[in-house]
Amino acid sequence: MARDVVQPAAVSGLHWRAMLTWMQQKLGDWPLFVLFAGPNLVLLAIFTYWPLLYNVYLSLTSWDLIAPVKPFVGLTNYRNLAASAEFRTVLLNTAIFALGTVGGTTILGLALALLLNLRLRGRTLARAIIFAPVLLSGAAISVFWINMLDPRFGLVALPLRWLGLPVPDWLNSPHWAMVAVILVYIWQNTGFSMVLYLAGLQNIPHELYEAARIDGAGAVASFRHVTLPQLGPTTLFVLVVSVINSFQAFDLIKVLTDGGPVNATTTLLFYIYQQGFVAFNAGRAAAASIVLFVLLLGLSLLQLRLGERRVHYGG
Amino acid sequence: MVQREDHGMLRVQLTRRRLMAGLVGMSAATLLAACGQNQSASPTANAPAVQAATPTPAPATAASAATPSKTMAATGAPAVVTQTGSKVKVTYWGSFSGNLGEAEQEVVRRFNASQNDVEVTYQYQGSYEDTAQKLTQALAAKQTPDIVLLSDVWWFKFYLNDVLQPLNDFFAQAKIDLSDYVDPLINEGTRKGQVYWVPFARSTPLFYYNKAAWSEAGLPDRGPETWDEFLQWVPKLLKQDGGKTTRFAFAHPNAASYAAWVFQPVVWQWGGKYSDPDFTIHLQEQPAVEAGRFWQRSITEGWAVSSKDPNADFLNGVTAAMLASTGSLAGLEQSAKFPVGTAMLPKGPAGFGCCTGGSGLAILKGKPAEVQRAAFQYVAFATSPEMTTFWSQKTGYMPVRKSAAQSTAMQQYFQNHPNFKTAVDQLPKTRPQDAARVWIPNGDQIIGKGLERVTIQREDPQNVFNDVARTLTDAAKPVVEQLKRREG
Amino acid sequence: MAAKSWRLLRQLPWYGLMLVAVFAIGLPLFWVATGSLKTTREIYTFPPVWLPQHPRWDNFSAAWHAAPFGRFYLNSIIVTLADTAAKLFFALTTAYALVFLNIRGRNLVFLFVLAALFVPVQVTLLPNYLTVGRLGWINTYFGLIVPMMPVAFGTFLFRQHFRTLSREVLDAAVIDGCGHWRLLWDVVLPMSRPVAVTVGLLALVGRWNDFLWPLVVTNTVEMRTLPVGITYLYQVEGVQNWGPIFAGTLFVMVPVLLVYIVAQRWIVSGITSGAVKG
Repeated sequence: MARDVVQPAAVSGLHWRAMLTWMQQKLGDWPLFVLFAGPNLVLLAIFTYWPLLYNVYLSLTSWDLIAPVKPFVGLTNYRNLAASAEFRTVLLNTAIFALGTVGGTTILGLALALLLNLRLRGRTLARAIIFAPVLLSGAAISVFWINMLDPRFGLVALPLRWLGLPVPDWLNSPHWAMVAVILVYIWQNTGFSMVLYLAGLQNIPHELYEAARIDGAGAVASFRHVTLPQLGPTTLFVLVVSVINSFQAFDLIKVLTDGGPVNATTTLLFYIYQQGFVAFNAGRAAAASIVLFVLLLGLSLLQLRLGERRVHYGG
Repeated sequence: MVQREDHGMLRVQLTRRRLMAGLVGMSAATLLAACGQNQSASPTANAPAVQAATPTPAPATAASAATPSKTMAATGAPAVVTQTGSKVKVTYWGSFSGNLGEAEQEVVRRFNASQNDVEVTYQYQGSYEDTAQKLTQALAAKQTPDIVLLSDVWWFKFYLNDVLQPLNDFFAQAKIDLSDYVDPLINEGTRKGQVYWVPFARSTPLFYYNKAAWSEAGLPDRGPETWDEFLQWVPKLLKQDGGKTTRFAFAHPNAASYAAWVFQPVVWQWGGKYSDPDFTIHLQEQPAVEAGRFWQRSITEGWAVSSKDPNADFLNGVTAAMLASTGSLAGLEQSAKFPVGTAMLPKGPAGFGCCTGGSGLAILKGKPAEVQRAAFQYVAFATSPEMTTFWSQKTGYMPVRKSAAQSTAMQQYFQNHPNFKTAVDQLPKTRPQDAARVWIPNGDQIIGKGLERVTIQREDPQNVFNDVARTLTDAAKPVVEQLKRREG
Repeated sequence: MAAKSWRLLRQLPWYGLMLVAVFAIGLPLFWVATGSLKTTREIYTFPPVWLPQHPRWDNFSAAWHAAPFGRFYLNSIIVTLADTAAKLFFALTTAYALVFLNIRGRNLVFLFVLAALFVPVQVTLLPNYLTVGRLGWINTYFGLIVPMMPVAFGTFLFRQHFRTLSREVLDAAVIDGCGHWRLLWDVVLPMSRPVAVTVGLLALVGRWNDFLWPLVVTNTVEMRTLPVGITYLYQVEGVQNWGPIFAGTLFVMVPVLLVYIVAQRWIVSGITSGAVKG
C-alpha cells in the first residue's frame, strides 16, 4: 500500500536505519500515515464508498436483481421518483419522523439532564436506567412494545383508561402508527441526548454562574444567559448526531409496523429497503439511496453552517 | 465526569486530576524506558493485513462438531460436487420454524435415514418473504441452494427469470404418476406442460369459529352458509362493555398477514375477480368494488376489526371468527382454551368461491445433474403419499396426493379430527388464484395495502381500487414482456 | 438535621419528576422481564398481570431448545469481539494519524472518514453482499466481520478528544525520543480511556444488536447470530407463542446490560469528552 520508495542506486548499500532516516526526510510522515490510517481508509473505500458508487450506477438501470443484464435507463428512476405520489408521502413521513424524534429526544434529553444535574440522591441510578434502552436491540424492543401498545391488553392502554381517554389502536391506525413509532424511538434514544447534555452542563465554568449571581441574576436569568448559550455547541452536536440516527432508523419500523399501515410509517430508508428487497426494484432503490445520502449530507452541512454562525463558543 | 477547573487558565477539558493520574501512571522513568531509543517502533508487525485487498479462497466454515452434515454453501460455477463418503449433499432453504419447523425437520430426518446416497440439510431462512429475498440475493451472488420452498406469490417470479428446473423428466424417470397429485395444486405450478413448483405445504382459507362463543350466542354448531346468514348472527356474537367492544364477530388480517389472499375468494363470491390470467385487471369493476364495500361495512358497522395478529386475537376471544389458513389449524387447536370449529367459506351473492394458497418446492437450475437428481429424490419423498399424510396431520396443511387423502389412515384421522377434513372437502371447489396477486411482483402487497386503505382508512373502495388497478397494471407490464420472452 | 430535611422537602418536586422519568423508561423493561415468565394467556390479560402467578421458567428452556442458542451466543460473541477490537484499533490509529502526523490534506482525509457517517448500512447492503460473494465469504465469519470493520464515528470521537490533549505532555514525550507508535500506546491511550470505553461500547452494542447484515450474509443455523436466532421463535402461518419470544429477547438484551453495568461509570464522560468542546 505504501508507495515503493526505493532509489536503487542511491541507497542500496546503506544501512536500513540510515534509509529510514532518509525516508523520513524525504517523505515526512507519509509512510507512517499510511500505516496508521491506511487499513481503515481502504476498508471504508471498499465497504462504504464503493457501495455508494455502485448505487449511483444501479440507479441508472432497471435491474430486478436476478436478470444477468442490467438494462441502462438513464435518469428514468429519478424521474419516476420525482413524479411518484408515493415518494412524496415517503419524504413527508421522513420529515415528520425526523422532526418528532429529533425534537422529542433533544428537548426531553435536555430536561432530564437539567433535572439529573441537581444534587439528588439516586441520580446516578436514574441516569443509568434512562440511558439503558439506548444499548438494546431495536428488534427486541419492538417485540415487547407491540405487546404493550395493544389497545386491548397493552400496558399503554392502562393510564389512558384511568384518564378516561380513548385508546387508539396504535399500530393499526395510519395516524397513530407514526406517533407510536416516534414514541418508542424517543423512549429508546432520549438517554443518549441526556448524557450528551449532562456532559455539556458539567463543562460550564462555575465562574460564569458566580458572575451572573453577582450581577443579580435569578435562576431563570442565569439559565437564559449562562446555561443555554453555553450549551450551544452541545446542542449542535446533539442535533447533528440525532438527525443522522433518525434518518437511519430501521429495526423499530421493520418490526413494529413494517412501514404500514398503508405506508403511514414508510420513511425514506425503509422505502429503499422495500423497493430493493421486497419489490426487487434495484434501480429505484438505488436512486432513492442517492437521494437519501445527498439529503443527509446537505442537512448536516446546513446545520453545521448555521451552527457555526449561531453558536458562540465560550472561552 | 469532567470536573470544573479552579482557575480558568486551562480551558482544556483535561482536568488536572486526570492529567495527574495520567502522569502518575507513567512516571518519568517509564516514559524514558518506553521511549529511550531513537527509533520509531515500526507498527508493521501489528498492522492488520487488509484482507479485502486480495480475494482469498473462502476459508472453511467452522461448522459445529455437533452437526455432522457440514454443508458447504451451494457452490457456484464451476460446480463441483463436494463428495464426502460418496453422499451427495443437498441444501434446502425453507420458511418453517416453531412447530411447523419441527415437522419439516422430521421429514428431512426421515429422508436422510431412508437411504444412503443423499444427505439433505434443511436451512431455515425466515418468512416466505425472507426466503424469496435471500434467494434473490443468492442468485445475484451466484451462491444458491439446491431446493427452495417458495410461496404461491413468489415462485412465478423465479420461473420468469428462468432459474427453476423443469421437472417432468425427473418424474418420468422416477416413475411417479403426476396425475396422483391433486389437480388444482399441481396445475398451479405447471407452465407449458412442465412442472416447476411441486405442491408441499398447501392450504386454503378456512372459516374458523370459536365454538364457545357460538354456543353462548345460541348458534348452531357450524359455519354460516352465506354471508347474509352470518350478518344475522353478528349481533349475538358481539360483546360490548361500556361502549367498548370486547368481542368482535370477525377479524380481517392486515396486508402483511396476507389480507389480499383472504379477500380474493370474497371477490369471487361477489362475482368479480382481481384479474384475468393475461393480467387484465378487474379489481376496479363493479362486483369487486361491491365486495370491497361489504368488507368496509363490516368495520364501519362495528362487527369486525382489522387485526395485526388475527390468530392471537382469535385465541384470546377478542374475535369470534376469522378467515385464516389451514396451516394454522394445528397451532390453533393446541393453543386455544375453547373448542375450535372450522367450516367452508360462506357463500356470497354470486355463490361459492375459494382459492388455494401456501407453498411448494422448486429445484434450482444450473446444478450438476447428480445434485439435481438428489434434490428431486427429496422432493419426491417429501410429497409422497406417506410423507404428505404425516405432514398434513402434524400441521393442518392439505395432503397433496389423491392416494393419501383417500388412504384409510387419513380417512380415520379425519374422523377423529373433523376440522382437518374441512379443507380437503373444500379443495375440489377451489380455483387457481388470480394472476394479479400471484404473478405480479409484490401484487399481493399492492392489493393488501389497498385493502388496508378500505378497512382501516375507510376510504371509498371505488377510488382505492382504481388506484390499485393502475398500480397493478404498471407493475404487470414488465411481467407481460418477460412472459413473452420466456414463453413466446 | 432540620436543615437537611428542609432541603429534602424543597427538592420533593424534583424527586417526583425523577421518579416519573425512571418509571416511564424502566417500566417496559420490567414488563418484558416479567413477561418472559408468563403464559401467553397471562400476557393477554387486561388489566395487566404485574407478577405472574406461577413463574414459567420453562419459557426460557422452550426458547433455548427451539434453536441452537448456545451456538448463536458463540457466533455473536466471536463477531462482536472481533469487530469491536478492530474498530477500536482502527479508530485509534486513524484518529492519531489525523491529529499528530503532519500531512498535507489531513482535513480532506478526515472529511472522507466523516462522510461515511451519512451512508446508511441498508444502502450498502446489496453491493456489500455482492462483494462478499465475490470473495467467497458468504456464510463465513469473514463475511460477518470484515465488512463491519471500518469505523467512522469512533474515529471522529477519538480525533475530537486528541485535539484537546495537552501538547506539553506529548512534546515532552517526543523530545524524549518517543516514536509515534509508543506515543500512541503509552501516552495517548492512557489519557483517552473514557473515549476508548465509549467507542468500544458503541461498537460492541452496535454489532451485538445488528440484525440485517447477519441475516443477509448467513444461510445456515451454525452461522447465525443471536438477533437473527430470535426469529426462529416466530411462526410463519401459525400461532405466536409470546412467552418464549419474550425470553428470547432477554437472551439478546441481558448480556448488553451486564456489560453496561460494568462500564457504566465511564460512559457519560467518554461519549462526550471529545464531542462537546468549546
